[in-house]
Parts: sequence; C-alpha cells; structure tokens
Amino acid sequence: MKLRGKPIRKSLKFLTLLLTSMLIASVSAGMYLSLTMKSTIGVYRSNVYFVKGSDANQTGGPTLLLDSTNTTATITGLRAYPNATFTYENVTLVRNNATSGTTLIRLAPKVNPSGNATDFEYVKFMLNGTEARWLNYTVTAGSWSTPSASDWITIPTETQWSIVIMTKASATAVTGRTVTIQITVDVD
Amino acid sequence: MEKLASELLPEFFALMGIDLFLLLSLLTCLLDDRLPKAIPYIYQFAALAGFGHLLVSKNFLIVFTDYMRFWYCFIYLLVSLANIVAVNIYFAAVKKQWTLAKVWSGAVTFPTILMSIFFVSNYSYFQGVPFPLFLQIALVVSAIIMGTSVAIFLSPEALRSRFKEEKEVRE
Repeated sequence: MKLRGKPIRKSLKFLTLLLTSMLIASVSAGMYLSLTMKSTIGVYRSNVYFVKGSDANQTGGPTLLLDSTNTTATITGLRAYPNATFTYENVTLVRNNATSGTTLIRLAPKVNPSGNATDFEYVKFMLNGTEARWLNYTVTAGSWSTPSASDWITIPTETQWSIVIMTKASATAVTGRTVTIQITVDVD
Repeated sequence: MEKLASELLPEFFALMGIDLFLLLSLLTCLLDDRLPKAIPYIYQFAALAGFGHLLVSKNFLIVFTDYMRFWYCFIYLLVSLANIVAVNIYFAAVKKQWTLAKVWSGAVTFPTILMSIFFVSNYSYFQGVPFPLFLQIALVVSAIIMGTSVAIFLSPEALRSRFKEEKEVRE
C-alpha cells in the first residue's frame, strides 16, 4: 500500500483523488452544517417608545392613548381652525431609553390621509430635537400630498423629544369634518 | 425532556455515506493493483452523487418528511457499507488474499459498521425509539472486543510477519 517505489502516475492519481475527496467532503460538510444552523431570537423591550406629554388628556384637549408597550400612540381630539395655525407642543414625546449606543430616528408616513382634503390646508408633525425634523401633509389642488420620510437624526441616550403637531383648516372648511393620518417613528 | 442541540439530522447518514465512499476511493486507489482500475473513480462519483443527494434534501427540506429523509439517507449509507463489505469479500473470496481481507475487515469494515450502528442508535434514541438494552450492551461489548482485537492484530510486527508469510506462499 506504500506509494514509495510506485510509478509517479499512481502518486498523481492518488493526489488527484485526495484533492477531489477533500473538496467533496468539505462541501458536503458545509451543506450539512447549513442544514443544522439554528437561530435563537429573543424578545426584547424596545428602547425607543412614546411617552405621554403635558398637553395630553387635559380637559378639552387632545386624548392620547398608548398601547401596552408604548410603541403605538393614538391621538384623537386634535383641532384645526380655519385660516389659523393651531399648535400642540407637547401631546406625546419620543423617548430613547437606551443607556449606550447610537440611535437614529426619523418621521415617516404610514397611511395616507383619509380624505376631506378641501377642509384642510395642512397637518404638520415636527420632531423637536437638537434639529427639527418635519413631516408635512399639505393640501395641494384639493388633494393631500404625502410627504417623504424626514432625514434621520441621532437621539441621545436617555433623552425624550416632543412631537409638535400643527394644524390649519381651510377658509371654507366645514365644521365637524375630520382627517385620519398615520405616521411612524422609524428607529435605526 | 428538552432535546439537545446536538441532535442528528437524517442527512448525517448521507454525509457519513459520502465520507465512506471517499475513504473507499482512496483505499482502492492505493490497492489498485488488486482491484479494477476504474473502481476509485466510481466511488468518487458515488460520493458526488451523495453530495447531490444532500443538495436535493436541502432544497426540498419542507416537502420531505423526517421519515422519508431518514430512509433515503440511511439507504445511501447502507449502499456505502455494502460496498465496503463487497470489497472485503472480493479480497477474501475472489483474490484469496486472506491477510488483506482480515486487515480490511479489522481496519475498515467493522469500524465503519460499528460507527454506523452507533449513530443510528443515537438518532433513534432522539426520535424516541431507543435500541433495546441488550442491543446497546452488545454494541458496547463488540466495540471493546473489536478495538482490542484490532489493536493486537494490526500491530506493526504482526502485520509485517503476516504479509511476509503471504508473499512466501505466493512465491
């Protein structure tokens, strides 16, 4: 069984077979390994969530409803007055509860305004951080124009920024008309 | 009982079959003066077919059930073991090379069969069908006996004298 003393042809044959064997064995082992790979996904509480602002749930003011994880905020009872800008400074805030790392956030549209465009001039959302980030829903030629997502901004650790909401109804607005808008706060 | 993370997949038997074919290919290449020249290449192709086997298994993982995957991988392993036994029989019955046949059985046939039985028993244990106790004891006992005999039988001195005897007989 020794290769020593055998013709070189046999050595080459053996070497070729050895190389192809190593190739087949390693590729097959890799294939098996890919079959056995398992992922463990843990559930964590989000570090970025909504916080109730001082303007929320006051008599005659807007109502803020947060879900159990504080990651969805529903604001109802916002008002818009014809030809006047009405500003809600502090209905809800976005909090970054992380103690380390870099967290980027931005405002982005989720669901387009539900209608009644002729009754409104705009609904604007502003992330009141170290720099303002805007998401402006305006009415152009009788229909809502959906904005693109704002630029990302780094929110420092253990910091909360308010989301300022500005509304303005059109001069010909009909009292009682409403619009529903859904936006998201993207986190990276 | 919580299952261990190291639980075997049915494809392990296909992987084992591939490795056995590769081992056969290399060994038959070394012994090519006693075997047909094409045999090492045939075993390489058989190993390659096993890789294709794994590839198909991976792509149709959801379609094939565990039961089906086990059987087609296990059959592939059985084919590779059958080839090892066949080479052993070929040396003994056709070539009448008893010493080589004994060495082959001690160094290749029995260890591979024993390892295969061990892994099959391990797989069946995790599938909730453990081997009966007497079979498990028989497995351990045969492993000990085989290990001891192979160590004695394949000692360099013993091998040298046996091959020398065989050569003298042939001359």
